[in-house]
Amino acid sequence: MKVLRKLTPEEFERAAEKLRNPRPGSRIEAAKKYGIDLTLLIEQLRLSPAERADQMLELGRLMEAVRGAARRCRT
Amino acid sequence: MNFEIAVQALCDADVEFVVIGGWSAIFHGSARATKDLDIFFSRRTDNLRRLARALAPYHPRLRDLPPGLPFIFDEVTLRNSTVLTLTTDLGVIDLLAEVAGLGSFEQVAVDAIQVEAFGRTVRTLDLDSLIKSKKAAGREKDLAAVLELEGLREADKL
Repeated sequence: MKVLRKLTPEEFERAAEKLRNPRPGSRIEAAKKYGIDLTLLIEQLRLSPAERADQMLELGRLMEAVRGAARRCRT
Repeated sequence: MNFEIAVQALCDADVEFVVIGGWSAIFHGSARATKDLDIFFSRRTDNLRRLARALAPYHPRLRDLPPGLPFIFDEVTLRNSTVLTLTTDLGVIDLLAEVAGLGSFEQVAVDAIQVEAFGRTVRTLDLDSLIKSKKAAGREKDLAAVLELEGLREADKL
């Protein structure tokens, strides 16, 4: 079974370069035109899949805490 | 949200499942946050029993069920459901026995890839299957996700 792993430094640099300078007509350019922040993708690709998941969990918990605090302020 | 506990519980109970949806996208590098955990599960009888036992301690309940109505989360419920949209002590979890654009669980499991996440080795969709499922879902919010994932796929190509 294939394993999804962290990009090597060379793979990361290659991917980051494509995201920084999208080729005209590419899907990356289409994403950029749609409004997707490609710099965020570069930051995600810098991490391992486990680190990406951990970071999103933290973000989710932070958002829940903010929502909880906002609810308490309203009551 | 404590999705890592949910995934750990499923893995530790030997449940046959594949993480799909937003969390699969996150494993692949998506920067889009998601509020729910989407689990594609095998409908084999022994697997339904393991799945029900693994999540039961976290009080799963249908999200759209009016308060006061009883809900039994067991292998019979799982066998008779194609999609269960649950709220649990760990967060919002969707259990899917069928996923548009992907085919049977057995077919998906063959193409699935392994990823180290949440302290376990879990199976998730490969990028092509994930894009296929998002396109088949055809929701407004999936359009941006598809563009992002196609961009990631292109960036990852040699």
